[in-house]
Parts: sequence; structure tokens; C-alpha cells
Amino acid sequence: MRLRDRLRRDWQLLVMLVPGVVLLLVFSYVPILGNVIAFQDYNPYAGTNPLTAFLSSDWIGFGQFQLLFEDPAFWDALRNTLTITVFQLVFFFPLPIALAVMLHHLLSRRLRGFIQTVVYLPHFFSWVLVITFFVQMLGGAGLFAQTLRDAGLEPWNIMTNPDTFLILVTAEAVWKDVGWGTIVFLAALAAVDPHLYEAAAVDGAGRWRRLWHITLPGLRPVIVLLLILRLGDALSVGFEQFILQRDAVGRQAAEVLDTYVYYFSIATGNFGFGAAAGLFKAAIGLVLILAANRMAHALGERGIYSKS
Amino acid sequence: MRPVWEEPPTVPGRALKAVILTLLVASVLFPLWTVLVTSLSPPSAIASAGGFVVIPRGFDLSAYRTIFAGGAVTRALWISTLVTVIGTAVALTVTVLSAYGLSRPGSTGHRWLLAYFLIPFLIYPPLVPKYLVVTGLGLKDSIWALILPSAVSVFNLVVVRGFFQGIPPELLDSARIDGAGDFRILARIVLPLSSAVVAVIGLFYAVAYWNVWFDALLFIDRNDMYPIQRVLQSYLLAGQAPHTSGAAASLPPTEAIKMAVVVLTVAPIVAVYPFIQRHFIKGVLIGAVKG
Amino acid sequence: MTGTTRRSLLQIAGLSVIATAAGCSEKPTSSGNAQNLGALGDVLPTQRDRTGTIKPDITGTRPVPDGYLRYPNPLTDAITTKPGTSGRAISAMTPVWGPAPPGTAQSAYLRAVNAELGTPVDFTVQDGGTYADKLNAVFGARDVPDLLCVPGWEIDKIPRFAEAAKVLFTDLTDHLHGDLVQPYRMIGSFPAAAWRNAVWNERLLAIPNPTDSPFPYALFTRKDLLDQRGIAVPGSLEQLLAAAKEVTDPARKVWAFSEIFPMVQMYHRVPGAKGGWRVRADGTPEFKYETAEYRQALEVMAKIYADGLVHPDLVASKGADQDQLFARDGAIVFAQAGMGFWQAAQAENPKSNLQPVPVFAADSGAPLVWGAGEPISYTFVKAGLPKDRVEELLRVVDWCSAPLGTQEAQLRDFGVAGKHHTAGPDGPVKTDLAFKEIANQYFFISGRNPAIGPFPNTPNYVRDVLTYSNETVKHLEKDPWEGLKLEMPARFAANRVPAEEKFTDVLRGRRPLSDVDGLVKEWRDNGGEEARALMARSL
Repeated sequence: MRLRDRLRRDWQLLVMLVPGVVLLLVFSYVPILGNVIAFQDYNPYAGTNPLTAFLSSDWIGFGQFQLLFEDPAFWDALRNTLTITVFQLVFFFPLPIALAVMLHHLLSRRLRGFIQTVVYLPHFFSWVLVITFFVQMLGGAGLFAQTLRDAGLEPWNIMTNPDTFLILVTAEAVWKDVGWGTIVFLAALAAVDPHLYEAAAVDGAGRWRRLWHITLPGLRPVIVLLLILRLGDALSVGFEQFILQRDAVGRQAAEVLDTYVYYFSIATGNFGFGAAAGLFKAAIGLVLILAANRMAHALGERGIYSKS
Repeated sequence: MRPVWEEPPTVPGRALKAVILTLLVASVLFPLWTVLVTSLSPPSAIASAGGFVVIPRGFDLSAYRTIFAGGAVTRALWISTLVTVIGTAVALTVTVLSAYGLSRPGSTGHRWLLAYFLIPFLIYPPLVPKYLVVTGLGLKDSIWALILPSAVSVFNLVVVRGFFQGIPPELLDSARIDGAGDFRILARIVLPLSSAVVAVIGLFYAVAYWNVWFDALLFIDRNDMYPIQRVLQSYLLAGQAPHTSGAAASLPPTEAIKMAVVVLTVAPIVAVYPFIQRHFIKGVLIGAVKG
Repeated sequence: MTGTTRRSLLQIAGLSVIATAAGCSEKPTSSGNAQNLGALGDVLPTQRDRTGTIKPDITGTRPVPDGYLRYPNPLTDAITTKPGTSGRAISAMTPVWGPAPPGTAQSAYLRAVNAELGTPVDFTVQDGGTYADKLNAVFGARDVPDLLCVPGWEIDKIPRFAEAAKVLFTDLTDHLHGDLVQPYRMIGSFPAAAWRNAVWNERLLAIPNPTDSPFPYALFTRKDLLDQRGIAVPGSLEQLLAAAKEVTDPARKVWAFSEIFPMVQMYHRVPGAKGGWRVRADGTPEFKYETAEYRQALEVMAKIYADGLVHPDLVASKGADQDQLFARDGAIVFAQAGMGFWQAAQAENPKSNLQPVPVFAADSGAPLVWGAGEPISYTFVKAGLPKDRVEELLRVVDWCSAPLGTQEAQLRDFGVAGKHHTAGPDGPVKTDLAFKEIANQYFFISGRNPAIGPFPNTPNYVRDVLTYSNETVKHLEKDPWEGLKLEMPARFAANRVPAEEKFTDVLRGRRPLSDVDGLVKEWRDNGGEEARALMARSL
């Protein structure tokens, strides 16, 4: 088809994209150019104004990246981050789906509304508060330890054990966000045509067969989509949660990529280093998104972008 | 009511479900209860409980009185309501339009445009350039500084687009044959079928705008323009001045004030949520729309 | 100026970019540099005593300020002419911890002070907790107000501060050095040590806000809780540890300590100058990690953690509220805190009796106390303003710096009589309006010739703090690099937190004490030796 004909066909679609394109251009793309400092020894005070500072700083090629890759602490942080991501993909990611299915099949609409309203509230608690709750329950001065002491037992340290820290942070994250995570899945379930269930039941399909053949297929595109998006963000696992508990379990267990960049960038006053780490994260995220999308295609899913 | 075709649940199945949901709800309600009670407790009760109060002893509204005194919180509530309402409207409009505009593979420039919208999901702008852009546009001390930079969330966009793409293509094709343009199809067919996801994304945006805090630190200098989280957070920071000098030092806020801040953060969301929730509890009958 | 001979910037090794073996790729590194402040005599203002000063009730041994028990009466009128002449509003940015006070339009306090100034100051008060983020944004965008407050502890968080200052702020040397300070009588009385800290690039760039305490921390105890248990305030490390074991009772939710490692280090005479340096007998610098004293302190503190004497909430999360646990709940009996904590905490909980534990040495020798003499904050003047505007700003700052006993100070600290305070027998008493509107706004664009008191709501405090301070100051560590501003080598700076955290692992029992030798070696290899070289050259 010639461009003219295509434009005649698609002009309304293109018009719809104008506001989004403009907003992203102004508030994302223009400031994103500032990431050139990843290749500089950026000096905000060089040049005659803040813009020329970006041009007059010394260009140092891939020096920042070299600094990053040569630091064993960076690899430790990367390993921790990926471990947490994988662990949470296995033990956290499915939970909101299960909870959403469970809630969706509750008969009493009032009970369902109530439970939903309650479980998603912890999303609005700050990390300081979430961790305070955990300390109050599981810490050395908490309810659990006091109960053990009253029973004449020696309390053991849950909040300060580096070996089980992975489980602790996941439990905290699950408590905070499992309810919030159900929302998108509930929306997807709402889009499943209830007549399908009835028809299947009439055909003799039992509870589990209906779950397998109707509910899950209804959710699958959303699950795949969220999985791909999560992988694109695989190198971010949170920041405040880890800063707060860093001294409790030590750097070895609690250092993730974002905390590493924070400490390294601040300590050396090197903004370019933070930008370089950000670009590294983006590159890994891009690779993971491409790979996950390809896998989705192999499984017959649409993913984020299509082959065509 | 259980539909006639559905078999009655098994006893162990029901018991398991009951246990899981009860534990989950209790694990949230118990801390929430202590937060509420602590925020309403006199200092003596808090000191004797050593922090969180579980069993109410005494009733003291002074934490809330402290926070509401002076009208800063009331004014901030108005500003935040404005930011949330306008922001959510703008963001939803832009997101829905973009999501639909990107929903048809093979349309003109589709791949390039999709890539254009996805890249900001991966790369973030550094602080200083962002500040230069927003202040350069003269948005400092205006609600638009809080609204426009976050009006397109790529995550939300991709989710909405996924739902749009899940709509059976036959529905759209038949409308197209009838001569309907894309704006018409979006308004008449796609949106009515997508009320659940639009409600969800609207909720995401509304929550993000209600909680805006760091952008307010950067872009809002006039304190009569502060949004609510900026004001509430400031109560938590009281007393965090490094103890270098008697002149600058003060103690951190009481436990009651800290907990009152949590209550005030959560309360509006509890109030608004049921109205939004309706949209994705109901379920959309595709057949009904078709007919 | 006498020219090049006064070029006293001790450029030991400038900020340099070192090419690596890789060729075209370069890594940003700095081997650090130092600025010699001692030789800067003639960029500094001549210090003169303010005539007609009110007599102190208790004299402090310098650098401890004097104490005042009673509010002075009558007040003097220190500045008779209005400092503001142009009437053009002055923009200013200051930190606040807590709710932001209302802006000029809604604040009777700001309007009253501004009327006295003759030229209004238009404040932007920023959240103190995130002040560094805001500073980094406005610095990078070169968008600074006429008067900018930078707290001392934020300066390290701003990369290339010296370069930033050169570009963004007015050089005040030619306005204030030597006798030029004479028209500004209030700031002219500030201690010379505070002024020395306000010098960057060998030029005077800011007005310091001098600190009123030369010590970074003290170990405080709830003496009321000790009295209840019949325990005396400890006078030695053994007594302290014995008392700690006695008061710790998890069943009653009471633990002995907060994190007190810095105090334990002082008890062992670990060096603290410039972050932990001292000079060995042979004249070479030595860092605290390398000393036997540090190792002993580490051992003692590790034992304290192992014995479960530190409150578990503080062990488990940085978000735990030490002040609440100690000052309000009494769940901690001994807590380390800054000196400014004392008065605020005592005032809030009159039933408690907060007292510092007198410093002692772990052995029978003399104790050692680290110094913390840097100013609380600095006030910078925006670059590029005409000379008469700069002078007007300086007069405003000077007015805001009036000391205790002047009408200016009373208006600044207590607002308008009848509105913000009422006259009581012990001096002005603040009203609710005062607590809402007065939030140290003018304090953070000026300074005070330091003084302690009076605090009528804590009647014993001034006497107690001066007794403690005058005794403790005898043991103040001598800084061999006194007057030097050091920018440490990049590798050393980058490794500071990681190294510290490895020793924290030892403290918390995650690493054995036997690892310490290895850690010290690691520290030496990761910038430690470079830093030592810099310290040696700067002696």
C-alpha cells in the first residue's frame, strides 16, 4: 500500500498518538539526553550555563562503565539483585493471581468487596512502617520473641539473620503488595464472559477444568504482559526496604544494585557513574524484554509487540 | 447466589479458603487497628505500651488537632484533590488514546512508534535535566509541574493496550465496515468493553497523583501550593534535624502523630476505593454490549 | 592583597583525570587535595568583641560558649538604622524539620521582622531531610536564591562543592576581610574558627553560623531510671557494662543501649580527627582502623551486641525511633546522642532526668573526646549581584545575627509581644501562634556568637551542660590538621562506606574478630595508602 493510502486509513490513529508523543518528548526524551554524563567526567559548573556544562565537561568514553565492571562489589550487588528477582518471580508473582482467582469466585459480593478493600491497604504504608510492623511482631522485642520468652524458650533472630534475609524481604513485599497486585487480574477476570462458565458446566466440566480452560486462559495475556514488564525492570527490587535493613543483616546480604549505585555515587560525588549504571540497567532490561517477548511468541502469546 | 450450574464447594476446599483469607485479612487489620488506636491514644498509654497500643486506654484527639491546626492540611487536601482529579483525567485521556493508537500492528509507523513509547520505560532522566525542563517551561509552583511529567506511564499504557488487543477483532471490523472511524470505534465499542481496565488504570494514576511527593519537593517552593503528602510527611520529619545545636534541635513527633499521618494517608483511599471497585467486580457482559 | 606569595592554596594534587592502560577510556579519579586555612589570615574578618555585652552567669572554657541562667533585662537596641534600603524583596532558601511555617502573606511574624529589616525576606523553606536533593537540583540548574543556607553536614553530599561555590556565589572577601567587617558588628564578633570554615578556594564565600557545642556526641542516661534501680551513674567502663547488664530486662522491654560505638571508641582513645586520623610517634599519619585502640573498642562493642544489650528494634531497622525509645518510653537507659538532643528531650519529658555520663577512659588514663567545631550552617550570597545589593544583604544578615539581650534577637526568636509571646518572670513565653509561625527562618540565614541558655523550662540544664562541657573540654582531641580543608582521594572516599560496613559486620557478629587484620590490609590497598600520603603531605 502506498503511504498516502495508509495515511488515509490510519490518520485517526496517528492523531490519537500526538499528545502522548509530545508529552514523552518534552518530559522524558529531552531530559533523558542528560544521560550523556555517563560518558563524561561531568562537571555541572563547567561552561557558562547549566546546558553548556553538559557540552564542556570532559569526555571519557566508557571510563565510568569500566569503573563499574571492575568493581567486585558491583557484581555482588548484581548477583543479590538477580537472586531476589528470580526468587520473587517464583514465590511472589503467582500469589496475586491465586488471590485474585480466589476472590473472584467468592459468592458473597459484600464479603469480596470487604476483603479486597482490606488486603490492598498495606500498599499505602511506607517501608519504614512495614518494617516496623515486622519488627514489632518478629523482632527481638516483638510479640513472637516475648511469647517464646514467656514460655521459657530462647527467641531466635528472624530480623537480623542474613541467611534468611531473602525470605524476610519477600515476606515483607508480599504482605505489602499482594492485595494491590490482584487489581489488574481482577479486571482481567471481569472481562471473562460468565456464559462461558455456564456452558462449560453444562458440558460437564468440573471446578478445576473450568479454572484450567476458562479462567487461566482469560488471565494469560495479562500474566504474560506483566511478566515481561517485570523482567524489563528485573534489576530494580526496591531501595528503601534494603537501606533500612542494611545494618541489620550486613551489606553482603542487603546490597542490591540501586543501593550500590546510591552509595557509590554519593561517596565519590560522581553523577556520571549513576547515569552509567542506569544505562546498564536499561540495556539488561531491554535484552530481557526482547527475550521474554520472543518466548511469549513461541508459546503462542501476543506479548508486547508482534512479529509483523 | 450460586448459579444453578455450579456444584457446591467441598468442605476441605471451603475450610482452606476460609483459613487463608482470614489470616490475610487479620494480618492487615491487626496492624491497622494498632495504628488507629495509637493515633488516638494519650502519650501515657503509648509510653506504657512501649510503642504500639493494642488495647485502647484513654482517648486523645490531640495528634489530629496538631496536624489540622493552622489550615495547612486543609489547603493541601484541596490542592491534592485538584492535582488528582485533573491529573487523572489528563493521564487517562492521553493513555487511552495512545494505547488505542498503538493497538493495531501493521498500522503506519507502528513499530517505530511503539519503540518510541517503550524506551522511557527503560531509561530514566537524571535529576538536573528534569529540573531544567520543568522550570524552563515556567511550571514551577504550578500544579502542572506535578501533573504533566507523569501523565504517561508506560506500564499503564502497555496494560491498557493489552486489554484493547484482547477485544475480539470481529467487533471492530463490523463497525469499520459500517463506516465508523477510529475515534468512533474507541468511544462506542472499545471503551464500553474496557470499563474494568480503565477503572484500574484510573486508580493507578489517581493513587500516584495523590501520593506525589518528590516532584513537589523539587518543583513546588510556595508552601500554599504543597500537596497533601508533602505536608503530612513534614510531620514525620520533625525532629530529624541533626542534634548539633540547641537552637536547631527538637524531638521527633510523638508516636500518635506518626500514626495519625498513616491514618490520614490511608483514609481517603478507603473512602474512594469501593466506588472504583464496582467496575471490576461487576464483570462486563460482552454479549450485552453487542446486542 | 600582596599577590602571588599569598597564593596559599596548598594544591597537593589537583583534581585530575588519569588515563588508564585501556587507552581511549579514562576513569574519573581524583587523588584529593587540601586547602590550607591556617595561612589565610588576611581573607578573614578581624574579630572584635561586641561592646556592652551582657555578663554571662557561667563562663565556658573556650570553645565552650558561656551560659546564661536568666533572660536579660533590659534589652539593648543593637542596630539603630534599618538594614534594608532598597525595599526589593530578598529571596532566601532555608531548611525546616517539621511542618513548613506559613508564608509571608499568612505570617504576622515574617511581616513584623521584615518591617524591621526595611527590605522583606521572601523565604522558601525546604524539607531538611531531603535538602541535599533540592540543593543538587538547584546547584546543577544554577538556580539559587539571593541568600542560600547550606547546613554544614550537607556540604559533603554535594559533589565539587568548591567549584560550585566559585560559580554560584559572591566572593565576600572584599566585603568582609580585615577591618572591612567593621560596619557589620554582629557577625564581626563570630569566633575566628567559624570564619575559617567559611573559606573555599582560599576566598571567604559565606557567613558561618557558629556551633554552640564543640562535641559531636555524649552518652546520655535516664538518671531517673537508674535512681529507681539504685544504680549510680557509671564512672568507668566496667561500671557502665555492669549497670548495662543490670538494667537490661527483655521481659520488661528494657535494654541498656542504643548504638554507642563512637562513644566506646572515645573511651578507648581511638583517633577522631578528620574522620579518624592521628600522627604516630615517628611523624607518619595513622588511621583509626590500624590502631590497637580501635581493635579493643571493636571487641568491647561486639561483646555488647553479643550480650544482647542493644535494643533489638534499633538492631533490626534503621527506621526505629531511638529518641522515642529512650526519652519517652524509657525502653533504653543509655543512649548516644548529639548535645542538642539534651535540652529538647528534657523539656518534653519533665518527669525524666536526662544526664550525660561523664567521659572516662577504658584504662586508667585520661579520656579522649572528639571535636566537632564546624559551623551549623553557612549563608551564601548569590553571584552577580551589584555591590550595593550585596552590602544590603550583608546588613540584613548582620541584623539577624544579633545576640541574646538585644531587641533584635527578641523579635527574631520570640516574635511580637502580645501576639507571639507574653512577658513572664523568666522572659518571654511563646504563644501557640509563635510555635506555628516561628521556625528558625532567620536563624538559618545568619549566625549567632554562640551562647547557651537561658531555658526557663529546664531550670537545671544550663548549669548541667556547662559543668559537663567545661570538664569534657579538657580532654578535647587536638587535631594535627587543624584549619585544613581536605578533599580525600576518590578511591579512599568511595571505599569509606564499604570499609566501615565490614567492621560493622564484625560488631554485629557476622564476621569473626580475627578477620580484622585482613580488613585493615584491604583498607590500605583500597585507597588507604593514598589517603595516608595526602595526610602526610598536609601536615
